[in-house]
Amino acid sequence: MTSSTAPGALVAGERPATRRARRGGDRHAYLFIAPSLFGVVAFLLLPMVIVLVLSLFDWELLSAPEFAGLDNYRRLAGDGATWHSLAVTAGYVLLSIPLQTVLALALAVLLDRRVKGLRLYRSLFVVPWMATPIVLGLIWDWIFDPREGALNSALALVGVTGPDWLSDPSWALPAVALVSVWQHTGYNMLFFLAGLQGIPRELHDAAAVDGATPAQRFWRVTLPLLNPTMFFVTVTNLIGAFQVFDTVYAMTDGGPSHSTEVLNFRIFQTAFKEFDFGYAATLSTLLFAVIFAVTLAQVRFFGKRTTYDLS
Amino acid sequence: MAKRFLLYAVLTLGAFVSLFPYLLVVLTAFKTQAQLSTTAPWLPGLPPTTANLAEMLAGDFPRYVLNTVVMTALLTAGQLLFTTFAAYAFARLRFRGRDVLFWLYVATMMVPSAVTMIPLFLIMRELDLVNTWYGLLVPYLLGSPYGIFLMRQFFKTLPAGLEEAARIDGAGPMTILLRVMLPLCRPALGTLAIITVISSWNSFLWPLIITSGDDTRVITVAIATLKSGIGVDYHLMMAGSLIALVPMVAVFIFFQKHIVRSVVLTGLK
Repeated sequence: MTSSTAPGALVAGERPATRRARRGGDRHAYLFIAPSLFGVVAFLLLPMVIVLVLSLFDWELLSAPEFAGLDNYRRLAGDGATWHSLAVTAGYVLLSIPLQTVLALALAVLLDRRVKGLRLYRSLFVVPWMATPIVLGLIWDWIFDPREGALNSALALVGVTGPDWLSDPSWALPAVALVSVWQHTGYNMLFFLAGLQGIPRELHDAAAVDGATPAQRFWRVTLPLLNPTMFFVTVTNLIGAFQVFDTVYAMTDGGPSHSTEVLNFRIFQTAFKEFDFGYAATLSTLLFAVIFAVTLAQVRFFGKRTTYDLS
Repeated sequence: MAKRFLLYAVLTLGAFVSLFPYLLVVLTAFKTQAQLSTTAPWLPGLPPTTANLAEMLAGDFPRYVLNTVVMTALLTAGQLLFTTFAAYAFARLRFRGRDVLFWLYVATMMVPSAVTMIPLFLIMRELDLVNTWYGLLVPYLLGSPYGIFLMRQFFKTLPAGLEEAARIDGAGPMTILLRVMLPLCRPALGTLAIITVISSWNSFLWPLIITSGDDTRVITVAIATLKSGIGVDYHLMMAGSLIALVPMVAVFIFFQKHIVRSVVLTGLK
């Protein structure tokens, strides 16, 4: 990296620039963004294009790619296993996201009162977020072990016989979703806490003077003002949840009888176990379309509601 | 008063639930196979044994840990370097196409990594970089749109007067960035570093796909293969898990302020 100190080579701030100086500023700016722009184009945009193109081909890696038109999409329409995996993904999202959002909000509301040891609690709640997901999967795999695991051992103490969790098709998906709740609740709580602490006290006081009950103040004052935080938390969590992979890989490997085979896991299997890259690209396109549609729906949902600009 | 007590009871229970799996890892890592079946999971095995850790450390595990450390260090260095330059340009310099490019970056934040995985693998295969350090690192070395977004927000909060003064003294953009702005960026850089360290250390799917040999195997992939091995030895697995978790917990204890700050920085304003 060379250091340029030529006078007038930079144009920034609010002043109108002379053309010559402007060109100098441009040059530096382009130099500064060049590596990251290369990264964005080569490793994000180009792959997006490749996925779309590849989804029109029949290609099993060792054979030559063959143009197949919309064959993969026709196959997708009749592919029960994929629709099943989409339903599993939706189930995972519905089991984990509402619970972790509500719990995070509840914890944040509790911590927003003048709690002694706020910093300590806040830190302890965030600890699960640090855990390596694949390691986490193994730990929870063991906690859910029907005989030796901590969960059923604890249940046995109070006289309850726990289910076979991960080997029972009706319990496996809720168990995997619970791990997501455990991992993300505390981290989400940080965002809600930051949001709550940004709400001016006067608004609460004014509502209280007008005779609003605590419940009314929560629903009519707090929640609407948390709208931007809620939007951020649900959008990022949903995008993440639709792509869950590591914990599924470590805990269930998609089983038992495909009950935890989420779409991302199926894409991985199709590409790197069956080497059916053309069809796997089609499945990737499906995943992207679903995430895009859900995000768009959220933007519209939250956009319609009033947001209060207090700054 | 009772209400106050209930509040602390709920918070303490929450904290306990947060820590419980970590506690299990520590307890189990120091148990023998025999103690594992005779003690309750949440009780320590007495006397504790270090044999599991010794066994894990005697094998190839230290090498995988070293690989992970190298990967994490390089990815974090790359992220800090390239992100700082790009974010500074987007926040403080004027150039043609700036806004369009920035929106392009923001838009790519929405692209799921699951979707780019297959093409990335094919690109690396075409370049003959499968099962190499280059293949492992290159796609994530040049800074992420997320990091650039985060740093740009921070640069925008710095007063413009500083730059003006430096410019009048004849400093160019490079000098201003390195000498004037960068020292002020330490908190934001710390936050970005921690986020990158954690996500690099924890990354699994890409290393699983792109690497296959011992030379490039990282700890997440090594731990995953422990499970698929014949006969799951939980006490060994937990010893391995402990080795993988300890560095992250250490990072957390030393830098937790930054982690909390990252939340405020992530653009809630």
